[in-house]
Amino acid sequence: MRLLLRILPLALILLGASLLFEQRAYAYADPGTGLLAIQAVGSALVAAGWYLRKKLYSLFHRTAAAKPESQELSVPELSVPKDGEGSPLQ
Amino acid sequence: MTDLECRPLESSRPNPHRATASSNFEPTFRDPAGQLLLEEDCALRRVRPAAIEEALRFLNSPLRLELERDGNLIPSEILETDSLAGAGSIPQAAEGGLWLRHPRIDPISYPWEWTRAQWRAAAELTLRIAGKAISAGWMLKDSTPLNVLFSGPRPVFVDVLSFEKRDPHSTVWLAYGQFVRTFLLPLAAARYLGWPLETTLFWRDGYEPATLYRALPAWRRLHPALLDVVTMATLFEGKSGKTGKAQPRPSAADPELAAHILHKRLARLGRQIRAVAGDSAKSQWSRYEQSASHYRPADIEQKKQFVSGVLERAHSASPRPARVLDIGANTGTYSLLAADAGAEVVSLDSDSAALETLWRAASKRRKPVTTLVANIARPTPAAGWKNREQLSLLDRLAGKFDLVLMLAVVHHLLLREQVPLAHIGELCAALTRRWLVVEWVPPSDPMFQEWLRGRDHLYGHLTEHHLNQAFAPFFAGVDRCALENGRILLLFERHGREAAVHSAPGDDPA
Repeated sequence: MRLLLRILPLALILLGASLLFEQRAYAYADPGTGLLAIQAVGSALVAAGWYLRKKLYSLFHRTAAAKPESQELSVPELSVPKDGEGSPLQ
Repeated sequence: MTDLECRPLESSRPNPHRATASSNFEPTFRDPAGQLLLEEDCALRRVRPAAIEEALRFLNSPLRLELERDGNLIPSEILETDSLAGAGSIPQAAEGGLWLRHPRIDPISYPWEWTRAQWRAAAELTLRIAGKAISAGWMLKDSTPLNVLFSGPRPVFVDVLSFEKRDPHSTVWLAYGQFVRTFLLPLAAARYLGWPLETTLFWRDGYEPATLYRALPAWRRLHPALLDVVTMATLFEGKSGKTGKAQPRPSAADPELAAHILHKRLARLGRQIRAVAGDSAKSQWSRYEQSASHYRPADIEQKKQFVSGVLERAHSASPRPARVLDIGANTGTYSLLAADAGAEVVSLDSDSAALETLWRAASKRRKPVTTLVANIARPTPAAGWKNREQLSLLDRLAGKFDLVLMLAVVHHLLLREQVPLAHIGELCAALTRRWLVVEWVPPSDPMFQEWLRGRDHLYGHLTEHHLNQAFAPFFAGVDRCALENGRILLLFERHGREAAVHSAPGDDPA
């Protein structure tokens, strides 16, 4: 359990970081090296929490969500084609 | 709608009879997107050609309308550049660009003249605007207290060129570092290290995290509000070093996640600001009104009646609201009295805690009272590049007031600052356009005795007559009221400008 508690924050940061990719920062106001790094860490933590919350939500709402999904798959949506557009079934 | 007039965004011609620009103010030059020029009746902003498209997009956005409607953003009006160039008195007009006109907020108050509560209000306004901007697809590209002015007690964001379109995938607020350095760390330094906020005059870009890290005791570095922005930021800075290259920044593939991260960051900054700004400040003078034993209720009532009479006189002489300067305002009894009578008031005091009480009262009652933490004996100097980026206190105040109140101030200037009476009279003549109220505190008064400190041979002989004599080159005595406690209220009316210019004060301490 202790090991898990130790690893969890690091795992969260890595998970968050894996959801982010890098760009270069060009600013009019000096962003500051350390404070920019703080933002990166903060972003990773918030992103990890955001995805975990989404996953947890989908776990508990799986059955409710599955039903309409399968309906959508079984009954393809038909739309009225606009002028000049052909039907996808044509 | 706010008290700052909000005009529709349409072209209009500038007034050809406008007053000349403030000669001591240099047009701003740090922002690559544009520059600001101060006129007597308005502020003119030139948007450089490369930034016009984005500026117009913001000016025509619902966000700008919402911020103006709520009184959070200075109103803007687009000017016709051809007529501006025709005026010939603005050299920058020849360089082209888009010109905007904003109403003047007068006087300008700089962050080093704000109370701690005002710093918090300005920081919270910046975060509120940043939050709305993120939701609307915009972002603040800078976030310094210099982007905020106080119109009365209310903070107003004045830099319309601070807004830029946001990359929907970016999770970084590039001005975060500037916000931390210029808002959060000065407040933290004032709270935990006792570094006065007035010293930010010398720290235009705020404090670096490492500066506070070195000064804070070890246990304070772990404070929840400072752990990331001081301790971790300093450690990260040490690890990564300063390469001079643009730093990598994280982005999210999901725009919804990016906005969520940015909002979370603003929310945390809001909590940190509240934590370091603290509660109401207290000082020796912030409870002066309640603890002053040399005033009986009857004296206070008599003093209020005299000041009210003078305010009526000032109002009847002017078709617009009278402008009143209250020097040594303390917690603002007479500033609020003047504001209640319909005047626009500027309140000056060197005691930040006392002035904070006044600012809170004026905010609560929505009274047009501008508070400035400053010492009239050592007024705030001009600052910035060539001393022309920020105006000195006297440059901002001179000749702007119908009435100046100097209630129980002269003995402070005389005894603590050793300023002769004639010099005090000369300064008052530079500040007021017409009326001056002075409360003369005689040498027998306990407060005079407290500061006399064995210098009876210099000041012990002074009487009301000496004051009248010293002020005579600049003012004529109009009214007088002797209080039961021995203090005397004097109403003066200023002579014509010629008399003041030709009468230099002498060397006599009195």
